[in-house]
Amino acid sequence: MNLTRHVPGVGAAFAALLAITLPAAAHHSFAAEFDPNKSVSLKGEVTKLEWFNPHIWLYVDVKDEQGAVTRWQCEGGAPNSLTRNGWSKDSLKAGDAVVVEGYLAKDASNTCSIRSVKTADGRGVFLGAGAQESPEK
Amino acid sequence: MKILAGVALLLAMSIAAAQAQKAFQPPAGPTPKTADGKVDFSGVWSRPYVPDMTKDGKDQKGFAELPFTPWGESEWKHYDASEGDYTGACLPFGLTRSVNAPEPIQIMQSATYFTFLFEVNNFFVVVPIDGRPHRKGSPGWYGDSIGRWDGDTLVIDSINFNGKTKLDTIGHPMSDQLHVVQRYTRTDLGHIAFELTVDDPKTYTKPWKNTRTFTLRPDWEMMEYSCEENNKSLWEGRIKVPKF
Repeated sequence: MNLTRHVPGVGAAFAALLAITLPAAAHHSFAAEFDPNKSVSLKGEVTKLEWFNPHIWLYVDVKDEQGAVTRWQCEGGAPNSLTRNGWSKDSLKAGDAVVVEGYLAKDASNTCSIRSVKTADGRGVFLGAGAQESPEK
Repeated sequence: MKILAGVALLLAMSIAAAQAQKAFQPPAGPTPKTADGKVDFSGVWSRPYVPDMTKDGKDQKGFAELPFTPWGESEWKHYDASEGDYTGACLPFGLTRSVNAPEPIQIMQSATYFTFLFEVNNFFVVVPIDGRPHRKGSPGWYGDSIGRWDGDTLVIDSINFNGKTKLDTIGHPMSDQLHVVQRYTRTDLGHIAFELTVDDPKTYTKPWKNTRTFTLRPDWEMMEYSCEENNKSLWEGRIKVPKF
């Protein structure tokens, strides 16, 4: 499985900058679903972007070295706030190569909370739900 | 050379992002009044997102050391959102969670009512300001609110809560004895000075407050927000409905 360690770079710095400045979602407690101590980095291909309330969901196929594909689903922020910050359902499309940084769900399914997404060319980063809500409890 | 190009690109991206965030300036001018001489709060307002009311943030001053009663402290220590999250289950957010949300509000007013339209979950609160007392109905998620003028400040007094909600996203507790006082002061055309006092003698030994600044967003319109539309986290069992 192509789970990569995060490599800081220009795109990542840009992602971090946006992560600091864009609002997160308020729909549910981060701790209800995700583990702030289990970060994940997924390098794969977008299959679908759902742009609905209360959270956007990004679906990514991650291929391992043998070619086996694992399907991941990752929860992002609230579409209303993301829309007001200039993102849309067309910001990513099926087939886009992306790196998703996030936190794993507590139930050990292939589910994550998005901290940032960047495309292969460093474009198209939008904030997920969890970055500012990593809870103290 | 590549390093220099990378640094230049990062700098350009940083400036662009900063400009995007700084681009909006609220309209300047004096506090507007209605035809009958009252302060006019009408408009769509952005508010700071406050997931934790003990913390400070941009346009938000929190209350760091909460004065818990033994009951309140026990509630706080034993709260585990993974055992049940009422907003994750799309139950009503309640008054303070709605006030704390990142999505905007629209305020509408007449001589006898204020209406607060919360974009989050598309909830609303109607506040009579004609001097009537609190209603004596069943306790609710949003409680019962009445308003009055204190000079040019709108004061909203809310009681009769059902005690099923939390004060904020991180889960600070409240009880059915919660009494919330909100004070809205429109300091100029573009801003509201906001103050929220939590008075809950079952949970806290004394009242405490947050102060915030709201910003007028004439360039925004309220948007639809259906919590149930795509609540996969609940459907797939990762979020549980709390047992009350």
